[in-house]
Amino acid sequence: MTKREPLSPEAVERLIAATEPWLSCDDCFEQIDAAIDKVVDSTGSMSEELRVHLSACAVCCEEARSLAALVAEEHGLSPAEAVARLDAALRIR
Amino acid sequence: MIHYRDPGDPRTEDPPPGEEWVTQLSMTGPVRENAVARLHGLMLRAARHQVSRMPDAAGLGAALREEIVHSAADEATLSVLTRLSTFEGRSRFTTWAYKFGILHAGVEVRRAAWNGREIELHEAAEPREATAASPEAYAEGRDLAEAVRDGLGQVLTPHQRRIAVALLVDEVPIDVLAERLGTNRSALYKTLHDARKRLRAHLSAQGFLPAQTTEEVNR
Repeated sequence: MTKREPLSPEAVERLIAATEPWLSCDDCFEQIDAAIDKVVDSTGSMSEELRVHLSACAVCCEEARSLAALVAEEHGLSPAEAVARLDAALRIR
Repeated sequence: MIHYRDPGDPRTEDPPPGEEWVTQLSMTGPVRENAVARLHGLMLRAARHQVSRMPDAAGLGAALREEIVHSAADEATLSVLTRLSTFEGRSRFTTWAYKFGILHAGVEVRRAAWNGREIELHEAAEPREATAASPEAYAEGRDLAEAVRDGLGQVLTPHQRRIAVALLVDEVPIDVLAERLGTNRSALYKTLHDARKRLRAHLSAQGFLPAQTTEEVNR
């Protein structure tokens, strides 16, 4: 060990995040467009695998929120409204 | 940089809806050129959108940001054209295509932001005293942090420990670390998945998390 950093409460939360059921980043990428259209349109929910992955993978989650904001106008929403719908879908267990 | 026909070219027409994108992009001649130019316009929009929302991009300078936007749009256009046969119509074509622009722009911004920064793969971290609303919460948080630290040292392999600390404690972006280690995002996420599962089992055994079911342990 060459460096010892403090372990913050946020890091603890990230370290113990549940990642079952399993979904890879590649599979997340494959599914994310259909899921975003459904969630932003409120015409469907996302799979549990995808929800768990987005909750545990910071980069995939940031890209999903960006996609929701980008397509918002096509769905008649503001970017903030579209991202809020995605965030709400991620909180549902 | 790839040179596409200007989307504002008078020979271009209104953007094609849905599956017509696939048809037009699969053709030859002016119809395809027109569609590719419009696709590249979509990718520029997606890349610019992604760059504009990333805090990491702010420090890169306007010239590099614009270079990244165009480079990512070019790469994303090629990705969409290469994977066109995999579009199944489960989403709008634009939503499907935009994700490639966002991915390429995000990856390029993170790589540029971390360019020249050393990534130190160390194995563990000390718990930090957390601010909490009550002495009980403070003690619980401290105990949990210590249990997690113990778990890092006791139940993870050295490789799992280094990856978990880099990604989840030091917050190195996953695609930046993947590039440095010569692997990919999914492989690192699988390592994280296995590490988290071991940590959670350890914490369950210590009484910090609800007991795991047999099914969870065996997954």
